[in-house]
Amino acid sequence: MREETTDGRIAPTMGRRCFLQSVAWMSGAIATGVSSWSVQPDWANAAAAPIKVGIATDLTGAIAYVGNACANVAKMVVKDINNAGGILGRPIELFVTDTASTESVAVANVRRLVQRDKVDVVLGGITSSMRNAIKDVIVTRGKTLYIYPEQYEGKECTPYLFCTGPTPAQQCDQIIPWLIKNGGKRFALPSANYVWPHVVNKYARELIEKNEGEVIFEEYYPLDQVEYSATVNNIMTNNVQVVFNTIIAPGLGPFFKQLYQAGFGKRGGRLACVFYDENALNLNAPHEIEGLASCLDYYRAVTARDPASARIQALYDEQFPGKVLLAGAATGMYRGLKLWELAVREAGNLDREHVAAALDHAKISEGPGGPAEMVPGKRHCKMNMYTAVAKNGHFEIVARSEGLVDPREC
Amino acid sequence: MAASITGSRRSCRRQVIPILEILLFAVLAAAPIMLADYLTVFVTRVLILALLALSFDLVWGYAGIMSFGQALFFGAAGYSVALLARDLGVTSSFIVLPAALAIGLVLSLGVGAFLLLGRHPPTAIFVALGTLTGSYVADRLARGWYYLGGENGIPSIPPMTAHGYEFGEGRVYYYLAFTVLAIVYLICRFVVRSQLGLALAGAREDEARIAFLGYEAEQLKLIVFSLAGAIAGLAGGLYAFHEGFVWPNMLGVMLSTQIVLYALLGGIGTLIGPVIGVIAIEIAGFWLADSFPKIWPIILGLLLLVVVLLSPTGLIGFLVSERERAGSFGRHPLPARHADAGADDAAA
Repeated sequence: MREETTDGRIAPTMGRRCFLQSVAWMSGAIATGVSSWSVQPDWANAAAAPIKVGIATDLTGAIAYVGNACANVAKMVVKDINNAGGILGRPIELFVTDTASTESVAVANVRRLVQRDKVDVVLGGITSSMRNAIKDVIVTRGKTLYIYPEQYEGKECTPYLFCTGPTPAQQCDQIIPWLIKNGGKRFALPSANYVWPHVVNKYARELIEKNEGEVIFEEYYPLDQVEYSATVNNIMTNNVQVVFNTIIAPGLGPFFKQLYQAGFGKRGGRLACVFYDENALNLNAPHEIEGLASCLDYYRAVTARDPASARIQALYDEQFPGKVLLAGAATGMYRGLKLWELAVREAGNLDREHVAAALDHAKISEGPGGPAEMVPGKRHCKMNMYTAVAKNGHFEIVARSEGLVDPREC
Repeated sequence: MAASITGSRRSCRRQVIPILEILLFAVLAAAPIMLADYLTVFVTRVLILALLALSFDLVWGYAGIMSFGQALFFGAAGYSVALLARDLGVTSSFIVLPAALAIGLVLSLGVGAFLLLGRHPPTAIFVALGTLTGSYVADRLARGWYYLGGENGIPSIPPMTAHGYEFGEGRVYYYLAFTVLAIVYLICRFVVRSQLGLALAGAREDEARIAFLGYEAEQLKLIVFSLAGAIAGLAGGLYAFHEGFVWPNMLGVMLSTQIVLYALLGGIGTLIGPVIGVIAIEIAGFWLADSFPKIWPIILGLLLLVVVLLSPTGLIGFLVSERERAGSFGRHPLPARHADAGADDAAA
């Protein structure tokens, strides 16, 4: 920002007048900024003070599609509860904050949720590192209840922290025996190198060996690797029958494609990927993942046999038509909110001790995928698990758990 | 770039930077009294990040070393004190803070010596890529190493203590961070106005000339690089205990770039500029995330872009004259002796 004067020398452009202008401009900006602090939440004439529910999830960033599905489900459930008269005669007010896939941003935003908005419960966090980042702010320093709604690697046993998504035991106990029966005994475990695949593979390997299968190789690749020809070659030459995959995006799409091109599917190989839900189906062309087996607590196909799931799915599609689907990742949010609602009703107040005690044994009879109940003392959730296979770009249910599956945690 | 400015025809004669410094000091000193608890905690974090921005300003604004590695020293110190607390139960501030400082110092000394002390003086690009690589490697290492918690980081670090007193988040921690920032700021201010600062500014403009005058330019740069590394390390230690959590992004390229952004937005080569930059970006992000939860990163990005377009010298350029921003040395600055190019280089 310098100007050349006529004699070639360089003169600064910032004069006193400019300075004064800048000061005026900045004070204006500060003034309007301050007024925006005091935007009141949009809550209509409620007789009783509302109960406050905080949702902290990734509304922006690489996994925003999961976070937005979670936020949508929360809005839907809260609307439902409010239409039915709220809880304990009080309406529910929803506070949604962005965790932005960035832990440092998330901590500040969640702290605001807990300390300024004084929410009575926080639900959210998608990745385990996000949960680790915000759990202290909520549970230890914030003295608030925290419900983590995602499928994850287990081993989270912090008091006042309840998990409502599937654990490795819930996913593997169902799918591994099915894979041995419907795929073969020779397994390969290609994985992304982070915590979840390590834990899942450890559990899966034990089950595979118990069921007389064998693990040909278990390998870990950098998270952003997209070239897998060596792995594919290894799979093809060693006559692997089942690829139990825990590689995640962005490598996931290319890996499946390369595997398909090498002819793995054609010679009868079985792909398996336990986190693959309906949102992930568009990562590959349907013929590349034909026959892929997955194991989760909910698929759209469940609605054919479970009227409660069908009702929830219809409600969601009506309120949120578009590309953010109600898929496996958002069902824990539904379950968590509903279980918490019951716990508050039973406790009769919002005291953390009382609600946590009631939540410890809460049960719901309806939800996406069926009923669910907390395992007393474990702070994890029993639920139905479904094994599904991709056919023509859709999941078809091929096996259902007999009753609720135990999370085997804590 | 040895452009000279004769006289001060159109610039404000009054010195604005000292006024800014005093104003900011007063505002920050009084902030916790006026702010709600959660905002005090938020500003504490901003102050710690300001330390980091200061360290970047030292290396880039004054020594002309483009470092994309400040997060490396920050994160390494953060991880180290987290391990001290987790595995050895050491939380005494009299041990952990000096340890964080020392780790930042030693690490930056090592990295700096490797990058700067070659047979030929390294180019700015070489150093930038070298530090970037260091940061990236550390990030990958932390993600893959399960002793460090891998991708999930180390959660639930116990609070820092001093003779049995626990520094919980809040006012006490705020004033601790504030005091550290004030002291570090004064040290930096002293350093950049000293003979060392003058020689560095000279080296930044024309290394050959400074060499002719008998200075070992690379060694001077190394000194400043290590000083900045020590400051980043200290910030990392404070940050780890304040947030109670360390994770791989703390070491990575993301944060390293963020620091560059803080400093550029505030105005490099002024010390106070980067501090203002951190405060501006963090507060803007905090408000925007509250008001526009789905599109706030885009708005923030556009705002940064607008500022940089309007004033390549950063926010400080709106308030401070070019002549004052570039600085002067000695008691009676001669109008003709003067170097002011570093900031413009960066902006271009």
